Amino acid sequence: MTFADYLNLVISAVLLAGTYAAVAVGMTIIYGVMKIVNLAHAGFLMLGAYFVYEVHERAGLHPLLGVALAFPAFYFLGILVHWALGRGIPVSDEPTLPSLLLMFGLWLVLQNLGYLVWGTSDRSILTPMTFATLRYGEITIPKIGLVVFICAVLSLAALEFVLHKTWFGRAVRALIQNRYACRIVGVHVQRTARMTFGLGIAFAGAAGGLLALLYPFSPDFGRPFLLRSFVIIVLGGLESFSGVFLGALILALVETFSILAIPSSYQPAISFSLLVVALVVLPGGVAGVIARKRRLA
Amino acid sequence: MAAILTLEGVSKYFAGLAALDGVSFEVREGEIVGLIGPNGAGKTTLFSIIAGSQAPTSGKITFQGRDITGVKSFRAVHAGIARTHQITKPFRSMTVRENVEVGLRFGRQSGAHSAGRGPIQNQVREILALVGIERLADMSSVTLPVGDLKRLELARTLAARPSLLLLDEVCAGLTESEMASILDLLRDIQKRGTTIIYVEHNLRAILSTCQHVVVLNFGKKLAEGPPQEMQNNPAVIEAYIGKKAEA
Amino acid sequence: MTPGTQFAAAGGVVARVLRFAVPLILLSALGFVPLADLGANATKVLFLTCLSIGASVAWNILGGFTGQPSFGFAVFYGLGAYTSALCINGGVNPYLSYPLAAGIAALASLLIGLPTFRLRGPYFAIATIGVSEAVRVVMTNLAFTGGASGYRITEQVPFRQLEHYYTGLALAALAVVISMLVRYSRFGLGLRAIRDDQEAAADSGVNPYVSKLAAHAVAAALTGATGGVYARYAAFISPDGVFAFQRSVAILLMPIIGGVNTIWGPVLGGGVYGVIEEELTARFPEFHLLLYGALVILIILFEPGGLMGLLGRMRRLVLRLRVGSWQPS
Repeated sequence: MTFADYLNLVISAVLLAGTYAAVAVGMTIIYGVMKIVNLAHAGFLMLGAYFVYEVHERAGLHPLLGVALAFPAFYFLGILVHWALGRGIPVSDEPTLPSLLLMFGLWLVLQNLGYLVWGTSDRSILTPMTFATLRYGEITIPKIGLVVFICAVLSLAALEFVLHKTWFGRAVRALIQNRYACRIVGVHVQRTARMTFGLGIAFAGAAGGLLALLYPFSPDFGRPFLLRSFVIIVLGGLESFSGVFLGALILALVETFSILAIPSSYQPAISFSLLVVALVVLPGGVAGVIARKRRLA
Repeated sequence: MAAILTLEGVSKYFAGLAALDGVSFEVREGEIVGLIGPNGAGKTTLFSIIAGSQAPTSGKITFQGRDITGVKSFRAVHAGIARTHQITKPFRSMTVRENVEVGLRFGRQSGAHSAGRGPIQNQVREILALVGIERLADMSSVTLPVGDLKRLELARTLAARPSLLLLDEVCAGLTESEMASILDLLRDIQKRGTTIIYVEHNLRAILSTCQHVVVLNFGKKLAEGPPQEMQNNPAVIEAYIGKKAEA
Repeated sequence: MTPGTQFAAAGGVVARVLRFAVPLILLSALGFVPLADLGANATKVLFLTCLSIGASVAWNILGGFTGQPSFGFAVFYGLGAYTSALCINGGVNPYLSYPLAAGIAALASLLIGLPTFRLRGPYFAIATIGVSEAVRVVMTNLAFTGGASGYRITEQVPFRQLEHYYTGLALAALAVVISMLVRYSRFGLGLRAIRDDQEAAADSGVNPYVSKLAAHAVAAALTGATGGVYARYAAFISPDGVFAFQRSVAILLMPIIGGVNTIWGPVLGGGVYGVIEEELTARFPEFHLLLYGALVILIILFEPGGLMGLLGRMRRLVLRLRVGSWQPS
């Protein structure tokens, strides 16, 4: 393998990492604030993909516009879901059994609604961009990959902005740190939690739309990304956002370079193996290790 | 009297913030020791560390001659240390009786402490009677008022047959008479050979039961000594009330 | 005792007798079923239902009693199936292969539990989502078990449906007995404590790590045995069949519907699921998982105790009517 080949792989991995990060962030937000493992995340990813697909097919809108639309659409969907299921999603300090099972039930419903409406066959979104590549000498960058990467990074940057520069963002960060103190200080816990859930779902839908540009999708296609999101969160440290980037990068690199060593049919087992390794070796994720080193220094 | 518990330089940091900073003291066997200090002084953290729910960042804890630093809570229970919680944690799906049964069946069962005590249900009844909640035996723990919950927590902790009992604000939220009976109970438990450390804000309770008092503030040990001495110690008074205004 | 409590106490004794008698009567009735000559298809449904009950009861030991839901129990079912299949083809007596299947499954459960149970957080639950998928992928690539095309079992003995039926029934009964033994033992008390409040349990002397590993191993072993029995019956297994995520979903739906954290809830759930599933998949092939998903949501929101919870509510209603006055329970 030449140097250019390696570089191409690294570039693929980085592009992939951006997408994975966008996919994982929705789950991280919800888990960080409400300690809910959103198993239905897979379902919303899937819905996001189909949303962009339908918007593209029926209204002829450019898929990227569809992704942009998905944001507000799924935000309201998230608010609606939280309102409807709120009884079973108490804001708590620890993941609860009912919330886990509730989100699982929701996932089943979403996935099978998907089967009902769209059937089992794969669909794809094809645009002139889909097969185009940029070439610089021996370096090839798939155009669509680059576009998706840029969108992902932009949305994550926007999230960082919201979290650090707006009142809502501050409330969210406060909620992550100390629920009781929030109540005292005047943060409306239930409302902030609801908006956070909406935000998490918004990211899930938009990320799903981005994924639809890269891969063919069917109602079950959210599941591998669910596991990947979790691997990313564990790798990056369950409650830090910067950790998400790091985790995404590690996963993307491992997945991309594993093609060299293992037959591609073993691919789906990689995320799981990485998860186990991460749990055994790095509880608290990479960010935790870094934090520990910083403290001792 | 020999020291049953020794703390040497125990510190606990949470992301750079010191909840405990170099706390050292000794507890003698058979004593009732009061652990006092303003809110946030680190008393509950100290309990968590002694009982094993958390590990200290640095320092050493010796219990009955053995180093138990960093030992997990269930092992600490088997060694003879048991604690109650500031906010009670009953097992919600269980009755009062079943709660105590957990403490009994999983607590320290070795040696002289449990030999010849009879069937489990008898022991449960004994403990419930000691704490005064025998009539509640078959009630679901979820429905109890706070005073009874505190007693239940105490009963469950006693059921583990500890040599060292850590009580975290066992009197909080109780009426005068309830508190008086709990204090009588503590003295009773002491007579049976158990060492007690307890966190308490009520001065009268401390004065009437403790042989020794340790004062914490901002994670550091401020002072220690007999309760009367602590009452008059200016540093202690300042910690609670503040400096006397310059006349 | 006041009249109210007298009735409650009487109701209690009657209820307790009924609680043990009724299921035992039903169980023995199941034993006589083949004599009623309901036909091969009905017997097959009942057999499969017994297997469902076995897996359901097994799952509940970890998911219900201990409060650690697993979304990947198909991995034990599949491992058990392949273990038995390989054994039988290798000449081993099928009835010896079942304990072996159970053992292999229990071993696998340790591999999953060891890294995940010692951490605070939802790690176990999420890890289980990936595990059956990972194993499925590996098995699909494994040549000597036939890979994706599956694995066939060839037995010299003729197929005797009754033998399979009684094996399934025995397995279901064994699962229930083990479930009861766990529930009413010191071990079971510890599991309940862990479910209620793991921190407080540890503070009371329960070793959460070892307890969870043990519960997981028992549940996995039973599920593995169930898979083994199934493999022999089906005579053909494939990774996409026995390791399917759908199967993990089915295994966990049953106890939730019937009533998680009870002895008979999973049995009820398994029975209902087993019998209805045939009908449902026949008539509404696209709907049935959707219905189950909606059912889970409704159950969690309104009656977390599932069918057993509903029955409990009805019983309390009846007791109140008998006492003759509407007192708060």
